[in-house]
Amino acid sequence: MARPDDTSTILSQQLLLGVAEELKLPLLQVARLAEQGQLTGKANLTQIRSSAQTALQLLDSYALGVRLAQSPQDLGVEPISVSSVLYDTSQELDAMAKSYGVKLELHVAGRYGTVMANRRGLQAALTSLGSALIEAIPALEAPQLKLQLATHRSRYGIVAGLYTDTKQLTNDTLQKGRDLQGQSRQPLLGLTHTSGAGIFVADAILRAMNLNLRASRHHGLYGVGTVLQTNNQLELV
Amino acid sequence: MPNILVIEPDVVLAETYYEALTSADHNVVVTPSAQTGIMVADEFKPDLIVLELQLIEHSGIEFLYELRSYLDWQNIPVIIQTQVAPGEFADNGMILKQQLGIATFLYKPRTSLRQLVDAVDAVIPAKAGTQS
Repeated sequence: MARPDDTSTILSQQLLLGVAEELKLPLLQVARLAEQGQLTGKANLTQIRSSAQTALQLLDSYALGVRLAQSPQDLGVEPISVSSVLYDTSQELDAMAKSYGVKLELHVAGRYGTVMANRRGLQAALTSLGSALIEAIPALEAPQLKLQLATHRSRYGIVAGLYTDTKQLTNDTLQKGRDLQGQSRQPLLGLTHTSGAGIFVADAILRAMNLNLRASRHHGLYGVGTVLQTNNQLELV
Repeated sequence: MPNILVIEPDVVLAETYYEALTSADHNVVVTPSAQTGIMVADEFKPDLIVLELQLIEHSGIEFLYELRSYLDWQNIPVIIQTQVAPGEFADNGMILKQQLGIATFLYKPRTSLRQLVDAVDAVIPAKAGTQS
């Protein structure tokens, strides 16, 4: 069940403004790549497609977040496999990661059974988060250009998240970013050069599903993810 | 060939700027942040810098103050090419122009590759002219 303030969170002008600002980047890419193609006679269609896809994904995720927040009764929660959601997310992010030179890794060690969540919402949140991080990583002082989609068990439940080797991904950074949203062009100044809308859209989708976006660590990497509750009924089987 | 340093945090856009300026017979180095920008400037000795203001950690404005604090770099022309709309500056960008020596201000969404190359070419000969 969504919290009472979730509708206002996802519909807030701040978030919408952030999404609009964020969309400028892939659209700019399409425009410049098309112009480059005209000038050289060689259009990089793969890159143009990837940039357009990034813009569409962000719009889709935002629209889904609005729907989930407005109609929490339609939020279908079902037993799902986290590793399967992470796999599908990695497929969605693959083209973008390649165009940014970021190595995308899937790290699902161990069997965690199923968790209770809304599959579309969880995948949209992780994809939105992944796009934002892929865009940011090459401009960060990260020793390696890699992003790991990973899951692990914590004492609170099963954590699904995205991890990289930058120390900028902390709860403090996230909280300051939430506070600055709408007041600053770059609420996540140390993490991304954009409005960071992908991260805030993921945050809003997770909140609409009564989940939280939190910083966490995975095998020495820093990242953000969400804690999911295991489906105890199926665990007994 | 003139050396152009481009400070652009987005990899995909950076590649298009690199291609466009290289095709126009410029030596181009692209770097994503203010910090690396200072280090690259030290080695590359740019004749002109194309700068985005929205960068990770240190902004383009901070980069400019740092750049202008060194005697050798006080006269390097800088073209701002940014996602920040000109109307968003409280003083209409006067500080940028008067105190930080900005040659040209380009609003990224309205600037084609051709316009960027033209802006660079317009500034480079002017500099060469003042040196001779």
